Amino acid sequence: MAFTGNFMCTSFKQELLEGVHDFQSGGNTFKLALYDNNASFTAATTAYTVTNEVGDSGTYAAGGGTLTNVNPTTSSTTAFTDFADLSFTSATITARGALIYNDTAAGDPTVVVLDFGSDKSSTSGTFTIVFPTADASNAIIRIA
Amino acid sequence: MFEIKVEAPLDTFEVHTTENRGHTPEEVAELCVNRLISIGDNSHPALQAQARAFRDRMLAVVTQYVKMGIEQDRATISAELSKAGHSDMAEILRRL
Repeated sequence: MAFTGNFMCTSFKQELLEGVHDFQSGGNTFKLALYDNNASFTAATTAYTVTNEVGDSGTYAAGGGTLTNVNPTTSSTTAFTDFADLSFTSATITARGALIYNDTAAGDPTVVVLDFGSDKSSTSGTFTIVFPTADASNAIIRIA
Repeated sequence: MFEIKVEAPLDTFEVHTTENRGHTPEEVAELCVNRLISIGDNSHPALQAQARAFRDRMLAVVTQYVKMGIEQDRATISAELSKAGHSDMAEILRRL
């Protein structure tokens, strides 16, 4: 039981075709929840779960933090979307990875699984998740 | 007939953490500038050098304004504390 890499959830790809997710600013609310290394998420993960989620601390509460959507855009023939970096302050947290999910859609469907590569810890401090550069090669979600 | 490739991030995500403090103005400015300016590895070396010089200048400017924002916010909170009769706490905040 452990994180084994970053995954885009297969159910998310289907839900894109079904029009479940709205990434526009002012669209759906997406959240990022943190997990310890007992969590084992794969591309088959379909929904947010509280199992193995890190405990409440500082500004982190069960369910995770709300992400700020950046309007989808395009570069050449690739469309992509992005989120603003997310911080939890005054927090004592040890997390190995995260789940991004749609808090607006029924059943809290997952979007992506993020593997931090190793345990990351904050002690009475700030825990910041830095999103990749928002371009056609690196953005968090890209459709090429 | 048509294939749409939906791609997830391949690299390990960056996570920044602190112990017994928040991020410093310099660290916040670094996050900000990294979001604003990315320098492609495949760009011409001269363009990369120019972009790095611009990035360094922007880092200094953003750091200065982050510090100014913190000072202004403290001044506002300090004034509110004074108005509420907590001049001792207001003074501590002013001296930070």
